Amino acid sequence: MLDKTSGSVDFRPLSEDFARDPYPTYAAMRKLDQPYFYEDEQTWMLTRFADVQAVALDKTMLRVVEDNLTDAEILSRKTMMNMHDMPNHERFVQESLLESEGETHARLRKVVFREFTPALIERQRAAIQDIVDTLLKNLADKPQIDFIADFAAHVPGYIIGRVLGVPAEDSARLRKWSEDIVSFWNIGRTQAGKDLAENATREFYEYLTVQLEKRKNVPQDDLLTKMFEAKMAGYLNEDELVSLSMQILRAGHGSTIDVLGSGMHALLQYPDQMARLKAQPELMKTAVQEMFRFNSPLPYFHRFATQDVTVGGHDYPEGTRFGLLYGAANRDPAQFENPETFDVGRSPNRHISFGGGTHFCLGNHLARLDMEVIFSTLLERFSSIDLMDEVPEYKAGLSVRGPKSLMIRLKEA
Amino acid sequence: MPTIKFIEPDGTETTTEAAIGETVMQAAINGGIAGIIAECGGACACGTCHCYVDGAWGESLGPVSDNEVGMLEFVIDPMTESRLSCQLMVNEKMDGMVVRVPKSQT
Repeated sequence: MLDKTSGSVDFRPLSEDFARDPYPTYAAMRKLDQPYFYEDEQTWMLTRFADVQAVALDKTMLRVVEDNLTDAEILSRKTMMNMHDMPNHERFVQESLLESEGETHARLRKVVFREFTPALIERQRAAIQDIVDTLLKNLADKPQIDFIADFAAHVPGYIIGRVLGVPAEDSARLRKWSEDIVSFWNIGRTQAGKDLAENATREFYEYLTVQLEKRKNVPQDDLLTKMFEAKMAGYLNEDELVSLSMQILRAGHGSTIDVLGSGMHALLQYPDQMARLKAQPELMKTAVQEMFRFNSPLPYFHRFATQDVTVGGHDYPEGTRFGLLYGAANRDPAQFENPETFDVGRSPNRHISFGGGTHFCLGNHLARLDMEVIFSTLLERFSSIDLMDEVPEYKAGLSVRGPKSLMIRLKEA
Repeated sequence: MPTIKFIEPDGTETTTEAAIGETVMQAAINGGIAGIIAECGGACACGTCHCYVDGAWGESLGPVSDNEVGMLEFVIDPMTESRLSCQLMVNEKMDGMVVRVPKSQT
């Protein structure tokens, strides 16, 4: 049985230092003889690629283990994690595709997965190019722009909204709801954060109800209609339909914006790589993969062990909670040569930013297509891109990673 | 140990030993075949371990599950020989099997 002493690592994931650069802390954690035990969440933090991957792929490790718990036990667990007393959030967010397992999960994923396969996602390319062109037209003559607020933030939400079928003019509201709900999952939960997430969920629900009602009367050629029809055919119920719609709108929203930001920042920090990518546009797909590896936008997930288990040579009892630190795993020298080097030609690049196993990111192809079109366009159209911010500030915490803003200057070719 | 020959889009041939009970996907990764990406680690969830199993070899493979059929419809460049290598369990009958790697997985 492992000793829960934290060893000699100064792990302060809510600190400014950690936000600026978590990787030295991750490296220190990776070097320990056993995983770091994070007291606040009673979780063993896995940072080695092999361990993180093994747990992500292990079918006996689940995100949610409530099936065998009594109502009292569920409430006690929720209270410990401060996710209780949030009726809308509990109904539509805490139960969802991501939070389900086994047959329920397979059934829900099956309703939507076709829309996210490579061939079908490719159909969004023209629409992505379209909105990128429109946004860039308005930014052409500015001395400097915020790559995030003025550009990146507007793309993923618009595209996923398009896939689902929600009107373009609602993009901004969708983004706000998504952020408020996703930020709740971060560590250090406060009542204010809970209220924000609960209100966002309720408003989002009311909005979706209107959208779905429209399709009852007038079916459209979009995923919301397909999901509505699946509900009529008995494949999912009303709550699951709302929850799944929210999940899809929410999942690829902030995370794509974050990796667009950190990807752009990496190119700016390593101008030789930007030059290389400009000179060899055929490297775009590997460059995008490297951006995902270098700064995983969603660096912290978890699993519960449903039986006694051995991970990385250590034994753990049933019920153990593991932290999967994808951001740390993606810099593990045991998996990647020169892991701290940003290399746009890195191949193979078997990073774990999209997770693994049955919950593997449904939107992975769309996320990469967004990145590809955006960076191809930027590098083609602008002779230089300069960083105007000395040290861009990154978001705090463990569950998201991306710059809050990124001031740049674009010079047309 | 059965050996499997992987042929990449540029014509490069790599013959690699495959352990009984592992998947063809795993054999590809172990053999350094970069064109088999296998992002989800073999959970039939991503479609990036897509491969083409030549002619008669394809006929001796196990049946295609519902999930695999679903994913295969929408991989890049699907063909009748398409299979997801993570769903193919290595066995002795695969000795000498030829597997072609698609031009792109994404």
